[in-house]
Amino acid sequence: MIDAQKTIVVTGIGVVSPYGIGLSRLQAGMLAGQCCLAPATELYSGFQGTVAQVGALPSLHDGHHYSRSDRLAMVAARDAVADIASSCSSFRESGIVMASTVAGLTEIDPEISRGPAAWYRHGGLLRAASYSVSRVAASVGECLDIQGPSCAVSVACASGATALVLSANMLLDEAAPMVFAGGSDALCPFTLSGFNSLQALDEEACRPFDQNRKGLNLGEGAAVLVLETLAHATRRGARILAVLRGWAMTNDAFHPTAPQKDGIGLASCIQRSLEMAECSIEEVGYVNAHGTGTPLNDIAETHAYERAFHGRSRPIPVSSTKSYFGHCLGAAGALEAAITIMAMRTGVLFPTLRLTDPIESPQVDWLRGKLRRQPLPVAMSVSAGFGGSNVALVFGSYRS
Amino acid sequence: MKTTLPVLTGIGSVTPYGPLAGLIPAESSGPLEPSAITAWTTLGLRRAFLVEPFRPASIVPGLKTRRLDRLSAWALVASSLALRDAGIDLGQMDRSRIAVFFATGFGCVELTEAFYQSAATYGWAETDPITFPETLSNAPASHVALFHDLRGPNVTVSSKSFAAESALLQAASLMRHGQADMAIVLAGDTLTQAVYEWYETAHLLSPACFGNGPAPSVGGFIPSEGVVAMVLEPDGRQAARPYAALGAGRWAAGGDARASVGQLLGGDLPDFTICAGNGAPCAPSPLTCLPRELVGEDSTIFPAQPVASGMGEAGALLHLLLALSRRPGPGQALLLGTSAHGGYAALRLELF
Repeated sequence: MIDAQKTIVVTGIGVVSPYGIGLSRLQAGMLAGQCCLAPATELYSGFQGTVAQVGALPSLHDGHHYSRSDRLAMVAARDAVADIASSCSSFRESGIVMASTVAGLTEIDPEISRGPAAWYRHGGLLRAASYSVSRVAASVGECLDIQGPSCAVSVACASGATALVLSANMLLDEAAPMVFAGGSDALCPFTLSGFNSLQALDEEACRPFDQNRKGLNLGEGAAVLVLETLAHATRRGARILAVLRGWAMTNDAFHPTAPQKDGIGLASCIQRSLEMAECSIEEVGYVNAHGTGTPLNDIAETHAYERAFHGRSRPIPVSSTKSYFGHCLGAAGALEAAITIMAMRTGVLFPTLRLTDPIESPQVDWLRGKLRRQPLPVAMSVSAGFGGSNVALVFGSYRS
Repeated sequence: MKTTLPVLTGIGSVTPYGPLAGLIPAESSGPLEPSAITAWTTLGLRRAFLVEPFRPASIVPGLKTRRLDRLSAWALVASSLALRDAGIDLGQMDRSRIAVFFATGFGCVELTEAFYQSAATYGWAETDPITFPETLSNAPASHVALFHDLRGPNVTVSSKSFAAESALLQAASLMRHGQADMAIVLAGDTLTQAVYEWYETAHLLSPACFGNGPAPSVGGFIPSEGVVAMVLEPDGRQAARPYAALGAGRWAAGGDARASVGQLLGGDLPDFTICAGNGAPCAPSPLTCLPRELVGEDSTIFPAQPVASGMGEAGALLHLLLALSRRPGPGQALLLGTSAHGGYAALRLELF
């Protein structure tokens, strides 16, 4: 017997991705096997690489200055509202938990370092006001006129999934009746340059989990999921997309940037999330992996799956959807949670693109080539990030 | 003393009062005067509440901070002092069940500025790979995990005006829901030229930032910096010397603060109210009269302290530390944050 007050459900999803605005565009693009990654040379002088970009965004709140990360978040939040509009008339007291790593860095120019005051006087003052990551959450609040608890999360590439965990806890605490939770990050020279300096980028389209992978591609986008308790959702007659059955967060405490090679931290995270979900390793039908395409991440992650799903009667199906539109950093965990739910609702497992020579692992069923269709009552989304943070989310389908 | 609430058992801080384990000594916990800024060239006298330079390894033996920015170094020192103050032997604990929650307004802004400097000097194609990962806001929290080998949840949050309060509430929530056995909650920021000059250009600074007079209580604020760390444990550890137990709390970006905080309090008015102003000029805000209006005449009010208000959204832990350092005695307390931009954060505490 489930406790409706303690069961967290997803009732709406808003998305801005390189496919456009809305989950339906993302779904259509991915079903068609369309890859959004393309060479880019204009992001900054000297950059030659492959990225996935979102097209022009609708204008929002004219007269205010918002960073591109803010605007992506606001568009995704509006899309989430549109997704629940048929069954929800009021969400003013809702909470907001938005993740970002880039936030307002898109608005800052290196010239600031030559003299901040002068840069501010010449137009930088308003632009710099969007610097703090808290602005992303505040922008969503302003856009939707929401006045509940508002918080931004910055846990590197695990940020988006962390936002969902914190939101779920807020709902358990009855801190808000609903929470708009997700992540948003825009492409900008700062992060491109940073990952380039670390030699973490693949100049061509990335190949997650391939033996010949060379690195990641950056993308941009945002996803906002509407979370509430089952009791609240039922009371208002909401359409329930999925149940967030379990979650866990761990830290490798191993290295500032490199994951633990044997994947122990991530494996422990997966195991804890399954314990919370009261779910066996046999029940999980699919894992949407972190799968960046970097040599270090993908092998560590493979070892994590081998540990976490050790003893399972058949290999665990795994794919990385970053092969479609790159690594959207702070938005990645939320976007991939949305894709995981989409897979559950459609019964379609998306393969990793360009995975021709996968890492050898008898315990992992690498999804590649064609779409796979199968019923999917339980699926998992996994995220990890610089600083050693890991997050695992277990979603289940809902039957009233 | 019998409670199931998360209990605050250790405090460590690196603030303008210096690096300290536990409460601020009575002889030095009074109001501070801001110091002159010398870390960068200013147009005339500019003042702020600054952390005096110190050698982290002299406070925490073996600590290596050469490659870190001040925020990460202070987080390591403050967390170490908090664990020392709590008398915790991490070797006896399941470190995979210890969470780190870090609240910050600007994150690793020093190294972000350094990264922009390298881009301005050498171009985006030739930036420094060592610096980049340290610009991420979660770098201080991950260094705390790495140094102490803490493998539990590791979260960095920012919240307009109420980052520290939200971190306390969310860390307590993790413990309440069995997702961590213990948490180290940190809150802090560093002051840099770009941050200070943004405040100045936006005309947010107090007149006291430009002269040698005493810090006025209204009319702008005096920027501050530092990190405060607090250890939260479940009640019951024999050796623990608790400061306070965390009760219910809530925070919101807007709405009717009076009704909401009133609802939180019920009819049970606190003995002490610890005000946590957010550092922005708040005189025009109708919320400034909120504490007295809510708690009546019998509650002792600890007014917001400029040194903590200057830390903006990360200042609440310093407000709490300053109030506890006044040794208010046992009783019910309310940590109440208000903002000129609207919104509030309120947290009930039982002081021991």
